[in-house]
Amino acid sequence: MSAFDAAAMKARKNEGETPIIAYQGLVKNFGLLQVLKGIDAHVNRGEVVCLIGPSGSGKSTMLRCTNALETITGGTVLFDGEPLPSDDKVRFVRRRMGMVFQSFELFPHMTALANVMSGPTTVLGMPTAEARDKAMGLLSKVGLADKAESYPSQLSGGQQQRVAIARSLAMDPQVMLFDEPTSALDPETIGEVLNVMKTLADEGMTMLVVTHEMSFARRVADWVMVFDRGQIIEEGPPAQVFDAPLTDRARDFLSHLGWSG
Amino acid sequence: MTYDWSVVWDHRFEFLNGVWVTIILAVSVMAMSIPLGIGVMLLRQCGIKALEVIATVFVEVFRNVPLLLLVFWAYYALPRLTGASLSNVETGVIALLLNVTAYNSENFRAGVNSIRKGQLEAGLSLGMSWSQAMRKVVLPQAIRRVVPVLASQWVSLFKGTSLVSAIAVADLAYVGLHLRGSTFRVLEILTALAVIYWVLAYPQAKLVDWLHRKYGAQE
Repeated sequence: MSAFDAAAMKARKNEGETPIIAYQGLVKNFGLLQVLKGIDAHVNRGEVVCLIGPSGSGKSTMLRCTNALETITGGTVLFDGEPLPSDDKVRFVRRRMGMVFQSFELFPHMTALANVMSGPTTVLGMPTAEARDKAMGLLSKVGLADKAESYPSQLSGGQQQRVAIARSLAMDPQVMLFDEPTSALDPETIGEVLNVMKTLADEGMTMLVVTHEMSFARRVADWVMVFDRGQIIEEGPPAQVFDAPLTDRARDFLSHLGWSG
Repeated sequence: MTYDWSVVWDHRFEFLNGVWVTIILAVSVMAMSIPLGIGVMLLRQCGIKALEVIATVFVEVFRNVPLLLLVFWAYYALPRLTGASLSNVETGVIALLLNVTAYNSENFRAGVNSIRKGQLEAGLSLGMSWSQAMRKVVLPQAIRRVVPVLASQWVSLFKGTSLVSAIAVADLAYVGLHLRGSTFRVLEILTALAVIYWVLAYPQAKLVDWLHRKYGAQE
């Protein structure tokens, strides 16, 4: 480890405390294809960690392993120091992690408000009136209080994704997982979603974000991990990864995107 | 050859009784087969191997046996196998129910499979259990999507109830066939029978078309 690395490591938020998420030798195979080849990494409380890298490099798979939407082939995922349960009890851990999908996955048969209420009422048994107040507050937070009674099909992509973020926040998660949240959006609505995410980051939310939005990662992330072919080839603070990448492959990847620092 | 249509009018109350029994049969069988069909469908993908196999065997057996044969089987074999003594109507309902439940479970399975996986995952990621995610997220969408198919199933059941006349359940078909024998006005009675079935089924078929348009091509 170079002196620069050591200095950067030291600079990580809450380094030394139990990480909120840790991966130890995480392996994931899809049939004969090894998608994750033994990942060791962690996310500290209060950090915004961005996962970048070429499509198919394993970023989304790692994110999905984090809340057990994929079963893992080998290694361990620890949440708050505890390995993820391999049985149905994993749902108690999922409650503490919000997940935002590339394709929004709002429930089309429910209004925006009902979508946001669905977690607290179904999972926590929160009384309807209380859940409604909470959901309205969250819709205001993402700027969509006036769309509470709209159905997803009546909303733009950016609006749907903001409702999806509100829906995840309704569970008061300790971590938010974002799986390419802007990849399915029209260019003009990407900004509104990134702004909501930036606000969350500023409020101190711990976030793990798979993204192709390099300027977002550069601006908002505390820590960046670069994936390639199922491995993390480089990680560090954004200033280092974007402006002075240590590995040729990371440099290649960034230059292919036209990133010039 | 002279026709005597008055024979139909003279027996109008018998026909009406038959219509009533047919409606009761169809409604009760459909009402039970929907929850049972959902139950069998859920068993087929519940993750417990033994239950999945039992449910699959149930579906494949009762979907692939001719309904008439099933009616006879329920009539002759079921009492021996179970020791229960059932009325003819109960036997008819059971036979129809076995068949329609098997079909409906397949209808619902197709509906559930048509809902993309991300919907279930979105429910799970909120911390819902599998059954909560099914109940709150997947099934409401799947049922909506299956409505037109259920409607077709209903029309087919409505006409299929006529097979229970084979075990002397006094439905519309049985009444007709009985009157044919007692009055010897074969042409008049059978024509009346066909007309009554058509008059009852045609509006339903139109309703199915309407449901197809309303729910058929919707995301």
